[in-house]
Amino acid sequence: MAIGVAMLGFGASGTALALLGAEARARAGRRFPLVAALAAAALVASPALAHLVPLDPTQLAWDGRQWARLGLVYLCFALPFALAALGILLALMLEPERPGLVYGASFVGGGMGASAALAALWLLPPGRALAIPALLGALGAVAAAPDAWAAVALGIVGLALARPPWRLTVTPYKGLPQVEAYPDARRVGERSSPVGWVVAVGAPAFRYAPGLSLDYRGAFPQQTALFVDGELAGAAPDPARGGLEMLEWLPTALPYALGDRERVLVLGAGGGLEVASAVAHRAHRVTAVELSPELVRLARELSPGVLGDARVVWIAGDARGFVARTHDTFDLITLAPGAAFGTAAGMHALSEDFLHTVEAYEAYLGRLSPRGVLAVTRWLVVPPRASVRAVLSAAAALRRVRPEAVRDGLVVARSWGTVTVLAKPAGFHVAEVRALRAWASIRGVDLDWYPGLARPEPGFHRLDDSALSRATAAALAGPEAAARFAAAFPFAVAPATDARPYPHHFVRLGSLAGWLRESRGTWLPFAEWGPIALVATLVQSGLLAGLLLLAPIAARRGAGLHSARVVAYFGAIGFAYLAAELATIQQLGLLLGHPVYAVAVALAAFLACSGAGSMWSDRLTAARGWTVGAGLAGLLAAAAVGLLPLVHVLEAAPLIWRGAAAVLAIGPLAFGMGAMFPVGLRTLAADDAGRIAWAWAANGVASVVAAPLAALVALEAGSPALLVLGGLGYGAAATLAHVPTRAS
Amino acid sequence: MRYPRHDFRVAIALLVAGRLGAGQEPDPTEARHRVARLRMVEEQIAARDVADTATLRAMRAVPRHRFVPADDRGIAYGDHPLPIGFGQTISQPYIVAYMTEVIGPRRGLKVLEVGTGSGYQAAVLAEIGCDVYTIEIFEALATSARERLRALGYFARVRHGDGHFGWPDAAPFDAILVTAAAGHVSPALVDQLRPGGRLVIPVGNVYGAQNLILVEKGSGGAVRTRVLLPVRFVPLLSGLR
Repeated sequence: MAIGVAMLGFGASGTALALLGAEARARAGRRFPLVAALAAAALVASPALAHLVPLDPTQLAWDGRQWARLGLVYLCFALPFALAALGILLALMLEPERPGLVYGASFVGGGMGASAALAALWLLPPGRALAIPALLGALGAVAAAPDAWAAVALGIVGLALARPPWRLTVTPYKGLPQVEAYPDARRVGERSSPVGWVVAVGAPAFRYAPGLSLDYRGAFPQQTALFVDGELAGAAPDPARGGLEMLEWLPTALPYALGDRERVLVLGAGGGLEVASAVAHRAHRVTAVELSPELVRLARELSPGVLGDARVVWIAGDARGFVARTHDTFDLITLAPGAAFGTAAGMHALSEDFLHTVEAYEAYLGRLSPRGVLAVTRWLVVPPRASVRAVLSAAAALRRVRPEAVRDGLVVARSWGTVTVLAKPAGFHVAEVRALRAWASIRGVDLDWYPGLARPEPGFHRLDDSALSRATAAALAGPEAAARFAAAFPFAVAPATDARPYPHHFVRLGSLAGWLRESRGTWLPFAEWGPIALVATLVQSGLLAGLLLLAPIAARRGAGLHSARVVAYFGAIGFAYLAAELATIQQLGLLLGHPVYAVAVALAAFLACSGAGSMWSDRLTAARGWTVGAGLAGLLAAAAVGLLPLVHVLEAAPLIWRGAAAVLAIGPLAFGMGAMFPVGLRTLAADDAGRIAWAWAANGVASVVAAPLAALVALEAGSPALLVLGGLGYGAAATLAHVPTRAS
Repeated sequence: MRYPRHDFRVAIALLVAGRLGAGQEPDPTEARHRVARLRMVEEQIAARDVADTATLRAMRAVPRHRFVPADDRGIAYGDHPLPIGFGQTISQPYIVAYMTEVIGPRRGLKVLEVGTGSGYQAAVLAEIGCDVYTIEIFEALATSARERLRALGYFARVRHGDGHFGWPDAAPFDAILVTAAAGHVSPALVDQLRPGGRLVIPVGNVYGAQNLILVEKGSGGAVRTRVLLPVRFVPLLSGLR
């Protein structure tokens, strides 16, 4: 949605300029410095204004007033982008002979901006970091013309930097403000970095015991709540205050019933509850992997006795990357429910998560010792979805490692609120099964499946929906039966893959309409809003795009076929750029191994290489432009087939090699992609400057639609499909560029 | 064909409302709310198979619009929760009715509610004649709920305190209703349930989608659970000293 809002600004600026008469356009061109100054000022004003709008998104579904407020917020955020885009467009019109240079400079600036934003988030608190883009904009305005306007803009930005006029408030529905409102709650630690804003809150009222046995009668340990970007990310226990026996009554303690686990790997260690559990269960060595270094630091400070124990090795980084590169083996690898922090960084509305794909599970199984077990615990949300997918994914991964292990190495345990799947490639012995059953019976946990189970046993927890047992039966029956089961299930529960890493996405878009029709609103609580919001954004974008394109078309009646070709060419490259960028960055994110830094680095590299390509394009004769498009179509087709396998091969390599591979992959692609726009522009510049504005609008508008569309394609069909679509877009653009050249 | 029947009932209710209003001070706003309330019960609650007569009667009687912020009174009877401040909400009417029905409400039933919020659930239980104990962790909410219930003539014991530890000096309870979500079921609440009693609690990921869990305590004290329907609640606030 954010990209859409930004691109909306681009489209709107193009349309506005296209609608002006030639003379007015020429006058506007001279206003370039003013526009640059305004853009900088708008970067300060927009968030401040948006903050004044009393929007409560949770009420959107039934409170009509909220929609008008949402529209206002959209407008506020689109404003600086519209002004910045207008600035670039004016610059392009001032230099019609060298569009590659101007456009390339904006690309390179974008790349540097991405890096600067990351650096700013390291060095400054988030409120102040927000002023950095405005500062760069104001310096740009000064460089364009050191006049009074630029001075005013610089002054505004300076004030904003000194005293930020906006407050970053957290919605009251997030965990942080709620726990902070507990009696006697106090903030005991706070750190921020590009990975997220981490806050620790001590509150006697706070307790975190996901899925605790109903038969537990002991005390609770004192815990400190840890939040990343306002959402609960874990709880650091204070062993000095007792209560650690509680850890033996959590469903995640099930694998310890198999006997001592000497080497334990905790993935997504969060606040350290599972780490504390491993220590309490006498592990000799606990390796705890957590993405957020701030979270690691705070948790260790808050709970030095347990989390700072000499047996615990903390790894601040990406879990998939760690598993790919470690040479150690483990007796237990555990993933706790809700501990996958990879989804919290806010880079994507519909979070991609490489921790729960079938390739990930296979990689975990590969790092187990001969007696090792993988334990995955998910919340039992009804109708069952995440738990069903966990069973199918674990079975699929076991089958890849040792086909017979599906039958003798799988255990499915269910508490009143969670499902724990144990996968042991070597298979469970009879004595181990006996130990698991004894553990489960004391704690009121049902075992839905274990090797040797003859028929379902009466349990402690009744689940009217038998989906979990049916999923297990299908997984045991074989891959075809599992696939048939998943295909017939009302939710999408087939294992997520690295090509489509959305393990938290269960809604089939095709069944949405049916739900909306039939169930009289009871679907509301359990529908996932992400995909629905995406579809709604796509519809909105389509309407806006239509409006922004139709306006200049209506205003310039009789422009004819040539104009349609212009719109098609620039629309196609607008869509293709976003599609290729999104898919490539997603796949390289896995290679570079950090959802925030990898994306920032890949994005910066993408923009810088596109900038270079754009500048180079001035040397290319416009008539040869189609060759770049054709080359890109070929490159993207090759990437669709080969990039992800390459990522898997290189995953275990040292960072330097992975970085080099990523740059080699991005370089030629982004270079060509950057050239397509200015080359196309040069074919127009000679005959009509107004058409430049129109091309700009078409490009921006196509991107408005492309942002949600590309996200939807990635979600529903996967990143390779998105690469193919990007290739088709460039192929179409090449054809459009080629045909008129030959005709002329 | 359910709609004609409902429309018929609504029409009768309208007539009755008109009749009742005839001899009293006319209050068009209150009459409008009453119509909305009757429609709410027919379309959102009875239509979704809540059949307990005591529950339906109470849902028709309790003025929900008096439990929401003044700004939102116009949408008080809509099929959704509404914010009441502190990030807390008044639950969707259907959920209130559903949870009430699940505990088998009747006059004299001793019920503990954890998470008073606006006091709406407590009012529904009091309207039925239950012996209501309700705990709220936010002092401001506890105070306003206590005053609101008193002003509307509902008797319920409201305590500003810690839901996690239950209400030991009034235990055991025939039923416990937890109206805020938690990632675990507090041991104290299970302990304070009378054998044969029922506890309803929304559980699951504290800040995501949740399930309603029915915990039943057998006559011998053995605990069994059943997952009811998916639901979204505000988090359980616990642990006030």
